[in-house]
Amino acid sequence: MAPRSVTSVSISEDPQVYEDTHVHAVYEEIAPHFSSTRYKPWPVIAAFLSSLPAGWIGLDSGTGNGKYLPLPSENPSRVWTIGLDRSLNLLKIARNAGGAAREVVWANVLDHPWREGIFDYAISIATIHHLATHERRKQAVQRLLQAVSPTHGRILIYVWAVEQDDLSKREIPVEQSTELSLGKDVFVPWVLSSSDKTQADNQVFNRYYHMFAKGELTQLVSEAAEEMGLRVGPKSEYSVSCSGIEFKQNGWERSNYYVELHCWAQ
Amino acid sequence: MVRLITHNLLACHAKGCTSNNFPLQFQNVQIELKEAEFNPTFLETFMPKLEWKALVDSAKEASATISRYILGNTSLPLEQPEMLDEEFLKNLHHVLLEIHVEEGIMICPNCKHNYPISNGIPNMLLAEHEIG
Ligand SMILES: [Zn+2]
Repeated sequence: MAPRSVTSVSISEDPQVYEDTHVHAVYEEIAPHFSSTRYKPWPVIAAFLSSLPAGWIGLDSGTGNGKYLPLPSENPSRVWTIGLDRSLNLLKIARNAGGAAREVVWANVLDHPWREGIFDYAISIATIHHLATHERRKQAVQRLLQAVSPTHGRILIYVWAVEQDDLSKREIPVEQSTELSLGKDVFVPWVLSSSDKTQADNQVFNRYYHMFAKGELTQLVSEAAEEMGLRVGPKSEYSVSCSGIEFKQNGWERSNYYVELHCWAQ
Repeated sequence: MVRLITHNLLACHAKGCTSNNFPLQFQNVQIELKEAEFNPTFLETFMPKLEWKALVDSAKEASATISRYILGNTSLPLEQPEMLDEEFLKNLHHVLLEIHVEEGIMICPNCKHNYPISNGIPNMLLAEHEIG
């Protein structure tokens, strides 16, 4: 497939309506095709899931086709991940991810249909960048913080970066990449080939993304945590009767920024 | 799927519904049994998180819907035991991980909101005016 350019957009509508049209409706349409291209787990995520203590349960918020639900592959029943997604058609694929029955729940990542702090870990992979405002992206992070244990919870978040790697199929127009400190709202086309393979009948679906600027993800997470009264930084002997989060990893992998957070309390 | 492990984690999240919003009560359920790999380490680590009474009650609700012969042994002690023998862990494994609710409704004990389950997928979405 030839490289396809992303195009800049600005959001003037109600963000929820916008996400319904440019995210949820698109995934419902492209679910099977999308899923067939998403089977290889990213190394940092696989390593995170392998690092968890045995017996932990976790939430995959925005699970898509559920490709992370069967992990860790070397010892699949070691931890138990439950998938949540807004797309029913993707969940229908996710519920049998890896050829076994999986637990999946149909909900929005801004919802919190759980007992407070009941999970030991949560992952949010390539999901928060589909939310159309800073406020909503912050809320999504807060839902993850609410979902995990305040004393030992661990969270891994991946979002799409303005910094794209060379292998990426997408081209970002140069003149658009000048002001990147606040990230960038774009449409990314998804081409659904028609069955008779004539180019003219290909359907193009534009998915909305917020491409994160360098440092924007850590800033967002810190803001989300501080608003909930959490400290940001490692636990120290001076932090008495309070709780917080510590960044254990903060990096860039294959056109994405990611952070790993550990919750602590004392 | 909605196995009882997932049911034990879910709570109602409708606007203003913040207490007595768990466990959701099953109604009109259809159940399938599927064998799952027995992992005692997982069960022992997970057990402290369980709301025991909710699990015992929902196991009873589930077993009331089809005959005990098909369902196997769902009898769990009313109190969570301190000594975990193999027989107990096998029962717990069966109840938590092998009973799949495929169809039915989950009802909030507090606000009575209905969360339908269809093809094993629980619909926890709320209408805009119901979101807290
Ligand atoms: Zn309720």
